[in-house]
Amino acid sequence: MHKLALSFKNRELSLLVILVFTIGLTSLINPRFITGSGTRDLFSSTAVVALLAIGIAPIVIMRHIDLSISSTVGFSAWIVAAQCAAHPNYKVWQAFIIGPAVGLCVGIVNGLLVAGLRLPSLVVTLGTLYIVRGLDYVVSNSVDYNSQDLPKSLMKLGETTYFGLIPFPFVLVIIFMIVASIYMKYRKPGRDRYAIGSNPPAAELVGIKVFRRTFMSFVFSGTTAGLAGVLYLMRFAQVDATAFYGQELAVVAAVVIGGISINGGIGTAQGAVIGALLVQTIQGGLSALGVDAFWKQAINGALLIVALFSDRVLARRSERALLAQRIKERA
Amino acid sequence: MESMVTSKGDLVLEISGLQKRFGGAIALSNAKLTIRAGEIHALLGENGAGKSTMLKILAGVHAPDSGTLNLEGKPFVTGSTQTSIDQGIAVIYQEPSLFLDLTLAENVFIGRQPMKGATIDWNFAQQEASRLFKQLGVELDPKRVARGLSIADQQVVEIAKALSMDAKVILMDEPTAALSSSEVERLMTVMRSLRDSNKAVIFVSHRLDEVFAISDFITVMRDGATVSEAKVGATDLQKVIKDMVGRELTELFPKTENKIGEVVLEVNDVTNPAYFRNISFKVRKGEIVALAGLVGSGRSEVARAIFGIDDYESGTVTVKGKLMGKNNPVTAMEQGMALVPEDRRQQGLFMVASVNKNISMESFGNLMKGLFIDFGKERELSETWKQKLSIKYDNQRDPVERLSGGNQQKTVLAKWLATDPDILIVDEPTRGIDVGTKAEVHRLLNQAASEGKAILMISSELPEVLGMADRIIVMREGRQVAELSRSEATQEKVIAAATSSAKVGAN
Amino acid sequence: MSALTSKTRQLRFTWDIVILGFLFLVWVLASLTTSNFLTSLNVSQIFSNTGEIMIMAFPVTFLIISGEIDLSIASNLALSSCMLGWSYRAGLPIPAAIVVAIAVGTLCGAVNGFLVTRVKLASLAVTIATLALYRGIANGLVGSKPISAFPDFWTSFGYDTFGNSFVPKALPLVIILGIIFALVLHRTPFGRRTLAIGQSPEAARFAGVNVTKHKMILFCLTGMASGIASVVYTFRFSLSQPDNGTGMELLVISACLLGGVSIFGGLGTMWGVVAGVLLAGSVESWLTLRDVNAQWRTIVTGVLLLISVATPVLIDILKRRRATAAIKQG
Repeated sequence: MHKLALSFKNRELSLLVILVFTIGLTSLINPRFITGSGTRDLFSSTAVVALLAIGIAPIVIMRHIDLSISSTVGFSAWIVAAQCAAHPNYKVWQAFIIGPAVGLCVGIVNGLLVAGLRLPSLVVTLGTLYIVRGLDYVVSNSVDYNSQDLPKSLMKLGETTYFGLIPFPFVLVIIFMIVASIYMKYRKPGRDRYAIGSNPPAAELVGIKVFRRTFMSFVFSGTTAGLAGVLYLMRFAQVDATAFYGQELAVVAAVVIGGISINGGIGTAQGAVIGALLVQTIQGGLSALGVDAFWKQAINGALLIVALFSDRVLARRSERALLAQRIKERA
Repeated sequence: MESMVTSKGDLVLEISGLQKRFGGAIALSNAKLTIRAGEIHALLGENGAGKSTMLKILAGVHAPDSGTLNLEGKPFVTGSTQTSIDQGIAVIYQEPSLFLDLTLAENVFIGRQPMKGATIDWNFAQQEASRLFKQLGVELDPKRVARGLSIADQQVVEIAKALSMDAKVILMDEPTAALSSSEVERLMTVMRSLRDSNKAVIFVSHRLDEVFAISDFITVMRDGATVSEAKVGATDLQKVIKDMVGRELTELFPKTENKIGEVVLEVNDVTNPAYFRNISFKVRKGEIVALAGLVGSGRSEVARAIFGIDDYESGTVTVKGKLMGKNNPVTAMEQGMALVPEDRRQQGLFMVASVNKNISMESFGNLMKGLFIDFGKERELSETWKQKLSIKYDNQRDPVERLSGGNQQKTVLAKWLATDPDILIVDEPTRGIDVGTKAEVHRLLNQAASEGKAILMISSELPEVLGMADRIIVMREGRQVAELSRSEATQEKVIAAATSSAKVGAN
Repeated sequence: MSALTSKTRQLRFTWDIVILGFLFLVWVLASLTTSNFLTSLNVSQIFSNTGEIMIMAFPVTFLIISGEIDLSIASNLALSSCMLGWSYRAGLPIPAAIVVAIAVGTLCGAVNGFLVTRVKLASLAVTIATLALYRGIANGLVGSKPISAFPDFWTSFGYDTFGNSFVPKALPLVIILGIIFALVLHRTPFGRRTLAIGQSPEAARFAGVNVTKHKMILFCLTGMASGIASVVYTFRFSLSQPDNGTGMELLVISACLLGGVSIFGGLGTMWGVVAGVLLAGSVESWLTLRDVNAQWRTIVTGVLLLISVATPVLIDILKRRRATAAIKQG
């Protein structure tokens, strides 16, 4: 039993090992991968998904899901771009307020419906996914924005690198990860989420404020998605209404691979980030192997299935252990 | 970190005149309980005697209709689980409900994690939990997750939690039901340490030898009232059993003598190591065989294995001479078996579906018109059984959850009787239904037997077992321990066999 | 988590009527506010546009009733459609290619079923994954070279109507499938067992239902329907490409929920679903005729989805508030 407990505690550790191993493997195939620019690329291209993964981690831990994030990213990116284009004297910090604000609104709607009316989060966020995407199309009215319209300082920030290796967006991710990690481990509201995900009826009984925690988690994921929209702009320097379309799977895959069980109760922000890096590395490795970009989506899907499967295998193991114990007792 | 200094022997709980009805059924009718600090107090009684209700009232799950309850001299506030917890009552249930993904330390401090400034002080939590485990005399690692912990260990964690909340009274509802004997030993150590800390421990149990080994005080309840309270030294097993069952066996059960035919169900050495071992018995046409024993003795699991809902590891089941495959209820039904399950709400009925649809569920074969269900025939079937069993409902299309417990049970019976089974297995057929309907159900079962059906009846209610059965098989902790014929069976013998106490002499 | 109460069931019975009422209302309003809503051309358009959705909605209804869900149906459609085009281009005659499409669809459904019923993964998570996987495979196989040349006979089947009537050639197929599925759901033991599984999986087990096998069949049927829908779709648009059917899963599920199928399982009628599909299709047609931006349709569908899921819960809350108020007074 101790062994099982340890393997859970060190889930993130073993993920890190797998990540390092995969990076090593990929570098063998594509030596450019391990260079400075290769690593920078990895961090750059993972930043948005990693941030989103951190954002939905508390939600998945509580046995919910938020599918609307990809639409929120696109929508907030567009709105930030539109605002910047309309007010050319906007500074960076304004972008960093507008983006999350857009996401906040979406998060509030999701939160009210899921936590307040107790509607299934799948259906609710599926609905908001499409509503926000539709709003994006309607509001944008086919207007695109590119780097001309965005504040130079924002673009420069996107390219700033620290220690020659970590671009600013990923630094943001790391900061988020550290804060989220501390919150989830050392603050009571953070612990409440694990309790809610582990045993929902018992959580109510011990007086945990389920509504508040659930609502705030959706607000968090919405706001994070809004922030990710700003990161999107920094990376791609252009946006139209189809921005980040259909990427919700990549985030779910990152989260599940990162050790956050779809059944709730376990997982960390670090795991989410490692999961995102792992998915990106595998993608990179496969494209270096010559696998067509057309297969990217399929690979994401297959990865998710593998992650779900291993998640299930672990659960089975503890079930079987309990059964073995019963047998011993009755002997 | 003890708040109040209670001395051993101080009056902690004083309950008298407690009454509680649930609809038409009387659960408590003048119950009395006196608990002192630093004592282990056993609460005994048969099923339905009122022990559970008493515990639930203390836990705050129910509020009493009337009665006086005092906690340390002050009135005890009932009706809410939170206020019970606040007043120092902790409950340990048979099935602990821990947060399996969280560590033991966190489980102990759930909802009240110790803080150091703005962050949770995990070190303190782990140390405290460790200290509590040690105080209880148990070796557990506070840093491990609860998943994978045995029921016994989970109980200890719950008890540690109770201690950390400064509980004054610790209620345990059948704590040893799911434990092995070594775990029981350990639990007793824990209970003694609680007693030594001047806590009051009230526990409900059916295992009389354990009760006598550990308790200081024994209160026996019967039919909702308290019939005796005694120090353990001032009473003995025989007296306690007599207090538990003392009533006269009234003839609620018109047992007809049926012609008993050949063997139709033969269970041979059937084993599922997690629940039961080496079960063997036969049931004949026209016979009613009762499977008696305590809750958790494995009887329902045996029934489910025979019927094919659960799998089993070894042994054979033979129906009418034909060997039955495992884990296939459809074949079982084809061979003429029927199982009326233990939990009618979760297992026997589709609560939101109509009476109509519930009754017809197994009988589609007879209700078809070509490829489709003939609704007319379905309604007729419902009507027929409504008459036969006197099921009371307003409209066939009403959802079954509107019916009373008794009528719901009759609906389940109707569903299965409609398949005209040769072997009818009923699991707790009269649990939770009123006396009048109980008698009806018993009459029904007798009638079925007289029509030549073989009946296997699982029941925890002694009078029912003794009144209805031609033969009684007693199970205890997954094993078959006794077989008594109708003539030789007495309540004392059955209880004695079921509760692992020494064989009581014929009374 | 089941929010199913018998009061909700009674509500549902009238819900179906309400949806039919709304459908009627929309038709009336649409014909009043536009000049060509009720023309045979437009009506046939409505039926055409909702054909594939209808076909997929039939078995998905069963699936949702049994407590599961399948988000991969549109991707399944895309993959089957690509397999149809790919086989045709590889030289197979159309009828054979059609069989390939349907077989692929059923296989994809079977994979979903296997992962859910045998490996015991949650259907939500699994079908999110296969949603990507199937469309991804379609992308990989056909991505750069879609097939757009199909024989006239078949494209006519997908696109045209009978003469000048409002009946698309594909409609009889839809109607036949609809009748079959409706009869199975409401009048056969299989349908009853589906409802039973949704209402109480445990009681279904005790009633001898092989829940695993039953759900597997439902997933396969859903896949098969995606395959059949893909055939109609491919011929309607004369196009076999990986983007086919994008977003259709939302429309199917929304239509089912609108039609009174409870997301919690155990409840639903087929004619409610038909009404739901037609309602969604009619609203879209109305918006198109009024020259409303096509993207409003996405918003409207999303809103309809939220409304259909929230309404029973809101009504339940209201009823309970009224009940407790009555008790307090009385």
